[in-house]
Amino acid sequence: MKIWHFILVIAVAGLLALFYRGLWGDPRAIPTVLIGTQAAMFSGPEVRNGEMLSMSRFQGKVVLINFWASWCLECRTENENLMALNRRFSPHPDFVMLGINYQDRLEDAQKYLQVYGSNFDHVRDLKGTIAIDYGVYGVPETFVIDRQGIIRYKYVGPLVGPAYTHLTDDILQPLLEGRSISRS
Amino acid sequence: MKKDLIIAILPLSLLLSSLTPTVLGATVEEQQIDLQVREIAKTLRCTICQNESIWESQAELAQQMRDLIRERLLKGESPDQIRAYFLSRYGDYILLTPQKSGMNWILWAGPFVLLAGGGILLYRTVSRWVAQTAAAKQDDLPPIDDRLRKRIEEELHSRED
Repeated sequence: MKIWHFILVIAVAGLLALFYRGLWGDPRAIPTVLIGTQAAMFSGPEVRNGEMLSMSRFQGKVVLINFWASWCLECRTENENLMALNRRFSPHPDFVMLGINYQDRLEDAQKYLQVYGSNFDHVRDLKGTIAIDYGVYGVPETFVIDRQGIIRYKYVGPLVGPAYTHLTDDILQPLLEGRSISRS
Repeated sequence: MKKDLIIAILPLSLLLSSLTPTVLGATVEEQQIDLQVREIAKTLRCTICQNESIWESQAELAQQMRDLIRERLLKGESPDQIRAYFLSRYGDYILLTPQKSGMNWILWAGPFVLLAGGGILLYRTVSRWVAQTAAAKQDDLPPIDDRLRKRIEEELHSRED
């Protein structure tokens, strides 16, 4: 009978551990299957000038992609940081930053960029296929692609506080310096 | 006049009769694509909804996913290839029914294992109770004294009356 008691205790402990994980874990932390995989190529019109932009133009560079929309409140909170990030890394010849405007109306997106400002290009995701290719759940979401075109980092949520510092200091800086980064 | 009318209608009817199978064929093919879109969309989770498939969801992302399924079907991809594509983008979360592989076997087999384990535990416990409360033998019973015997007989008589 003692073996049954042991199994029961293990089963209850396992269930409690699962409940604990479910209750106290980070709800934003949806595991992505894209880290370490080849980034999808895409192209689309630039939000402000309509010029066609293609991801293939940036092969061999470290590319930061940020999905956003004018109706997304959290995108506004990270906007200043995105511009600061581009100011810091754009002097590096191998750094490119792109915004992907997701499920938005052109006039709303253009107005958003006028009001909140931006110092990098933004591609319109006209049919939602770029977002689906990148397994996007919502906005904002940020991806970092290395020189070999491999997705190395994904973050769901606004890039503020520790998330911003982690991205700049632990991901972008090492990648641009050719150092290895921890899998995130 | 009648002859002229026949001459005028004949090429038109020939044209129509040659077009009809094409039009019908296109409609049937379109219906098949619709059915396949529905079949695939019903198995994929709307990632921004609460427990809805992308077939049921009215969200824009779900609509775009349905359009993408249609586009890929028209390009000649099979339903399995399309499901594999979504799986490669979103992982297991996109599937409304978890795959029967790896750790997912815990999800599939877990309830049955727990049910079987609970059943065995219940059987053993009940068996033990039954063994512990087995029918007593005649010799194990406490003796009945005269006073108790008289009382029993009185109660039996009162019931018979």
